[in-house]
Amino acid sequence: MSDNQLNVLVVCGSLRQNSYNAALARTLPSLAPPGLALKAGPPWHTMPIYNHDIPDVPAEAVAWADAIRGADGVIIVSPEYNWSIPGGLKNAIDWVSRMKDVPFKEKPVAIQSCATGVLGGARMQYHLRQSLTSIDAFLFGKPEVLVTFAAKKFDEKTLALTDQPTIDDVKQQLAAFEKFVRRLNGRK
Amino acid sequence: MADRTVNVITICGSLRKGSYNRIVMNALPGLAPEGMQIKEAPPFSEFPLYNADIQNATGFPAPVQTLANAIRAADGVIFVTPEYNFGIPGPLKNAIDWVSRVPNQPFAGKPIALQSASPGPLGGGRVQYDLRRSMVFLDAFTLNKPEIFIGNCAQRLDDKTGKITDEQTIGFIRQQLAAFANFIAAHGPKG
Ligand SMILES: Cc1cc2nc3c(=O)[nH]c(=O)nc-3n(C[C@H](O)[C@H](O)[C@H](O)COP(=O)(O)O)c2cc1C
Ligand SMILES: Cc1cc2nc3c(=O)[nH]c(=O)nc-3n(C[C@H](O)[C@H](O)[C@H](O)COP(=O)(O)O)c2cc1C
Repeated sequence: MSDNQLNVLVVCGSLRQNSYNAALARTLPSLAPPGLALKAGPPWHTMPIYNHDIPDVPAEAVAWADAIRGADGVIIVSPEYNWSIPGGLKNAIDWVSRMKDVPFKEKPVAIQSCATGVLGGARMQYHLRQSLTSIDAFLFGKPEVLVTFAAKKFDEKTLALTDQPTIDDVKQQLAAFEKFVRRLNGRK
Repeated sequence: MADRTVNVITICGSLRKGSYNRIVMNALPGLAPEGMQIKEAPPFSEFPLYNADIQNATGFPAPVQTLANAIRAADGVIFVTPEYNFGIPGPLKNAIDWVSRVPNQPFAGKPIALQSASPGPLGGGRVQYDLRRSMVFLDAFTLNKPEIFIGNCAQRLDDKTGKITDEQTIGFIRQQLAAFANFIAAHGPKG
């Protein structure tokens, strides 16, 4: 049974310690169906600012790309910054997009976001879809996970996800994402 | 009679030396209408990747404050940027994210113009619409038209001499800068 598990990488778009998105990312393994083995992706915060003149792709970007290539799917959990993708996360995507064997190509990707505001990061999600289209990822559709008013959905002290409707949404997405990945990989 | 000089700063979204967008940016002072002075903004290449914990522990990094101050002091800002993966280059977005957190947020009420160059046919259409959206959130005022999308830019810009070789492109840029001067005047002095 466990050799039939899918390996899914979880990438978080926020670097701050008490991040709601990081808290959600940490919660995912406990909400995933048995067929998904979730693992946190390698760090991207040590990648230099992208400059085309840097001759070699930095080691951190190589490691990140390898982890994505090696995974059956990727879940990106990210805040929205200024109505779009956080610059740091976009920087990581820009780096690996220049590699020969682009790691996101035909990779199943699901997106989740937490925001303190009313839209829950929707504008970031739609922009991320646009960017991932440029590197030919296979984007999961519904159900979407948009955690609005994040401060009310996580425990103030422990940052545990306490909001039951959100927990249900996440469980549904993870179950549907497993089906999506198996379908794309031709594994029933 | 121009009542006073309008000071505009330019921000290039590409860090590479031979950047096509930098060629365009460098040409702007020579194409500006009378009364508009254009100079390059302080760099963002040394900004760390945004992390709210850095901001809270040690405050805004010095280069972030320098850029924020320059934006605040300018009458207008022109972004000249490539498109990366159908959107804003990560480094430029990171710079905007940092600046957006500085108190008395410097883009608020600021006139903005956008230009992009790409070797591809669209000339960066998608990055401009991504930038417009971020600028709405930051309450800046972005010039509508004319838009400057320099498509197939390798044929219009000479990366050996660093010059714009295409007369039509030069004409469009002059028109946009003239329109931007009016746009800045229409929005009045900064509050
Ligand atoms: C640079 C920056 C830009 C932001 N822009 C947005 C935005 O456009 N939309 C939004 O809903 N929240 C925005 N926020 C607020 C975030 O939703 C909030 O800080 C959230 O807690 C960040 O996610 P995290 O807790 O995982 O770090 C922004 C925050 C920062 C630091
Ligand atoms: C990370 C990366 C992503 C890119 N994505 C796009 C894109 O989405 N659309 C496009 O027209 N060109 C894209 N390009 C090609 C750039 O337009 C081209 O490299 C251009 O020369 C960059 O601008 P510069 O000359 O000012 O550095 C991309 C280039 C890089 C390095």
